Amino acid sequence: MLRAAAAAENLAIAVLGQAGAVLPAFGADGQLSGQEVFSQQLVTGLSNGMIIALIAIGYTMVYGIIELINFAHGDLCMLGAFLALTIVGALGMAEWSGVGGVGGVVLLLFSAAVFCGGLNWSIDRLAYRPLRKASKLSLLVSAIGASFILVNLGLFWGGLPMDVFAGGGSSAAPKDFPALVSNRDVLTLGDVRWTLNDLLVLAVTVPLMVALTVLVKFTKLGKAMRAVAQNPTAAQLMGIDVDRVIGSTFFIGGALGGFATVVYSLYNNTISFQMGYRMGMDAFIAAVLGGIGNLPGAVLGGLLIGVVRSMSDQYVEARWTNAVVFGILILILVFRPSGLLGAKLREKV
Amino acid sequence: MAAPRRRNLLLPGIALAAAVALPFVDSRLPQEWQLSQPVVDVFVYAILGLALNVLTGFTGLLNLGVAAFAALGVYAFAISTCDIYPFQLGFWGGLCAALLTGAVAGLALGAPTLRVRGDYLAIVTLGFGEIVKDVLVNLEPITKGTQGINPLPKPSLFGQDLGATGQYLLILGILLAVVVACRSLERSRIGHAWISIREDELASRAMGIQPDRTKMRAFATCAALAALAGALMASRLSSSGEPNNYDFQLSILALCIVIVGGMGSIRGVLLGALVMVGFNSILLEKLTRAIGTPDAPMPDALAHAQGLEKVGVFLRSWAQNVLVNPTNWKFLLFGLALVLMMIFRPQGFLPPVGEHEDPPKDADGAKGKGAAA
Amino acid sequence: MIRRTASIVAALTGAAFLFAAAPVPGDGGTLKIVSSLPRTGSANSQTTSMVNGIKMAIEERGGKVDDWTISYEDWDDASPQKGNWDPAVEAANANKAAADTQIVGYIGTYNSGASKIAMPILNKAGLVMISPGNTYPGLTKPGTGEPNEPRIYRPSGKINYFRVVPTDDIQGAVAAEFCMKDLSAKKAFVLHDRELYGKGIADVFKKTSEGAGMQIVGFEGIDSKASNYRSLVTKIRAANPDVVFYGGTTQTNAAQILKDLRAGGCKVPFVSPDGTFEEAYIEAAGKENMERDEKGGGGVYITFGGLPAKELKGEGAEFVKRYMAKFGKEPEGYAVYGYEAARVLLDAIDRADTKDRAAILAAVAATKDFTGPLGTWSFDLNGDTTNRTMSVNTVKNGKFEFVKASGTAPAQDH
Repeated sequence: MLRAAAAAENLAIAVLGQAGAVLPAFGADGQLSGQEVFSQQLVTGLSNGMIIALIAIGYTMVYGIIELINFAHGDLCMLGAFLALTIVGALGMAEWSGVGGVGGVVLLLFSAAVFCGGLNWSIDRLAYRPLRKASKLSLLVSAIGASFILVNLGLFWGGLPMDVFAGGGSSAAPKDFPALVSNRDVLTLGDVRWTLNDLLVLAVTVPLMVALTVLVKFTKLGKAMRAVAQNPTAAQLMGIDVDRVIGSTFFIGGALGGFATVVYSLYNNTISFQMGYRMGMDAFIAAVLGGIGNLPGAVLGGLLIGVVRSMSDQYVEARWTNAVVFGILILILVFRPSGLLGAKLREKV
Repeated sequence: MAAPRRRNLLLPGIALAAAVALPFVDSRLPQEWQLSQPVVDVFVYAILGLALNVLTGFTGLLNLGVAAFAALGVYAFAISTCDIYPFQLGFWGGLCAALLTGAVAGLALGAPTLRVRGDYLAIVTLGFGEIVKDVLVNLEPITKGTQGINPLPKPSLFGQDLGATGQYLLILGILLAVVVACRSLERSRIGHAWISIREDELASRAMGIQPDRTKMRAFATCAALAALAGALMASRLSSSGEPNNYDFQLSILALCIVIVGGMGSIRGVLLGALVMVGFNSILLEKLTRAIGTPDAPMPDALAHAQGLEKVGVFLRSWAQNVLVNPTNWKFLLFGLALVLMMIFRPQGFLPPVGEHEDPPKDADGAKGKGAAA
Repeated sequence: MIRRTASIVAALTGAAFLFAAAPVPGDGGTLKIVSSLPRTGSANSQTTSMVNGIKMAIEERGGKVDDWTISYEDWDDASPQKGNWDPAVEAANANKAAADTQIVGYIGTYNSGASKIAMPILNKAGLVMISPGNTYPGLTKPGTGEPNEPRIYRPSGKINYFRVVPTDDIQGAVAAEFCMKDLSAKKAFVLHDRELYGKGIADVFKKTSEGAGMQIVGFEGIDSKASNYRSLVTKIRAANPDVVFYGGTTQTNAAQILKDLRAGGCKVPFVSPDGTFEEAYIEAAGKENMERDEKGGGGVYITFGGLPAKELKGEGAEFVKRYMAKFGKEPEGYAVYGYEAARVLLDAIDRADTKDRAAILAAVAATKDFTGPLGTWSFDLNGDTTNRTMSVNTVKNGKFEFVKASGTAPAQDH
């Protein structure tokens, strides 16, 4: 992977060296020009957006099938990050390099995915399944409760006296997640950098999104999921084991969260027991922005949020960024009340 | 109908008598058993819960940003009463300012979002909450940012300082007034319109109810009452606190109060406030204080242990560092309580009874079409 | 062997603690000290250090002052619903402390906002309050905050609030001077976390810099819950500063900003105030991000109100030794502040030798030339520490390292 990256870099320098001549604004002179700033913000925004999108897909899948705003989703991802950090610490993965390093990242991705999937399935079994017949809002409160429990588990986990966590009373402190994927440039355009980190985000999220689309569109399980989403009663009458389908959805949604959280941790290099709040919130906004239950919508929503955040940090002021994001969200929903790609809600007749 | 009606009045009567008697009994108890101060918090949160209940319980519109209305109430109260501003309207003037600001904010949020439904509305309200919080932090020249505005007038009557018991009774009185107002609204033409919107918007439109106007009224009422609750919070603290004190977590707490108590039921909301606020400020607090904080953590001897012994040292060290401290369990206990309450009483402790026998159904019965497409 | 030592230490400290907690009949009775700090949520690690410091101070006296048995309670002013300090809880704590006549001292709060609520309540009760963490100047110093501050916190007209930490106006200025003189910075980019503490220091930093000719090329309030600050880093790179100052704490993501700066290729010194003077900052940021590179670029600097543990002599050095023996690591800034607050209180109880709140309050106010890990200092007429010694520290090989001391010596104030 590293060698490939080096080759790609050489190629890029060869190609873009020419481009640099054509585009004078993009000079590698250490001084960022206006266009360079814009392009860099776009790159950062898209990478951040793709991570949000991956979490949002898990979010929106669960929403699509049982209409639950799953407040615990972000905190589930947080626990996945703690698992990944524990594995990194236990195996001494920070020292691994070359093929081993790539293998390590793959190992992290899959262990976190299985863990988060399994955990999400269990949460559904324990906290949501007893409430299938209850009102949607009771389910919501149960999810809020689950989220508090997960946060506390993260606090306990962070206090584990392992070398990686440094032990002591600082269980609540943010933890450093070793930079297993280096921050070296893969492509540069003047002073605009697209690094191995950004490549990692792309290399994990895009295949997963494709795989998921295939799963939902073309497999039997996907068909069952769509059927349950449309009408659980009718699906049951057609012989679909509804609880099993819902369970599988929770597993897949959680697993996606697991993948996403490893990418998040490798990209940001810090985890803390309270990071789930923002992860879940961003995913929620992305899912709604795209149209809840709509997978391409969640991706679009995630990318949009990532880019808007970057641009607002640059061209407005960082302190207004949240307000800008939510302002745009409200505006979009006022004019498109069911999200960007959401199907129009038909009035009940 | 006569028997149930009498029973309906008996329990609230006893509860009210107990609430009135509490501060008088309380002052004779040993200090650690005095409860009247946390109970005033319960009253204030009950008003916030009742506010949300109008919008979410009666009208079926999920609001995840009720804290924003409370925050606006806090700042309206603070700016209109604090002596660093020119207004200085006093306690009651401040309450009026808060109510008014709340109602205007409710209309301002309600009007553009009439078309937005269900969970899309939920996220619009959530976003509104975040925007209000950020604006309050960032508009420093007016709001003093995170500094907070203080001092603010304590609850008073005719300019008289009431003392702790007087303030308790005054806030109880305001809560009673809010309860009576909600009860009358629920039984009025407006309340029936709200509930019919919740049950079936299309059918109620066919019956000649104007959904837009009805929803706007619900928004304004909810926001005004929430702002009132905010103003009372600020008055009790004699400080506006920081805008971050009125964040999403407060909205979530209000929502939990409504749903745990029983959505759409006024008595339920009152009980919900007692349970949710009492859980932390009375139960968890007593619990942690009874257990006490353990001695400071010991140094880790992990590096020197071998094999199985290492596991033992590891676990013991973990337990000593983290698990024995009861404050580290608060999130877990709070969350567990929420999940268990929902599993065993999904409809809430006291769901609505009587005229509206059915527990509220989901706001939009139609499931999202084309899901997972 | 080490394990045995550890268990002996455990047994001893356990015994000491039990001894401290159990009232022994026949002596002067029990005096209660409480602390009110946010124990639930993100400030937990900082407040744990403070509580350790407080316990250490009480233990050192064997849990007794003269014939009085000291009992200590560690109160939480945060709630799980908020995950942070909760104004209602702080008010409840203050009211409870005011009503409990056994309580003779209130150590708190951590957040200046919380003190604004607790101060008037405790002031009316005449209960002495010593803060190990508040740095907002307006709490004590007339003319620094709103026109009605600090009068509004003293409804009885008397002063009952003291603090052992230097205020923002001192620390922000020290940081700015360090950037200009020692780092020879001409342009600074200032970030803050939009909270009372961080914004306060950043404002002073900006004002001092502009007064002395350092250009402020950016002043941004950040979102302390953001997952990363890469886009902000691009903005900083484009502004091309010589130094980045962050008014904020470990809790409000100082480590993440530092990492993103380094990852984004911005290798300028990163300066932050005492809210980051703790191990947790190094743990969270990763030591490799804190080193200077071959060309001497980068590096982190942390200002602190007092000298760091290693530079201490006499009584201070003793404290460090004892703390190391007990907790296996050097005391952090927060632990020292907690320790000093408790010690000053115990010292006053010793001198007053009574359970009368007013007498203890007077004894605290009369604290003069008090010697401890923060140096020799007194409380001035506003209740502030006269300690003006600030230190600037850096991080080398994952450890804090002392760079220089600045500010006037405390002795000159008399």
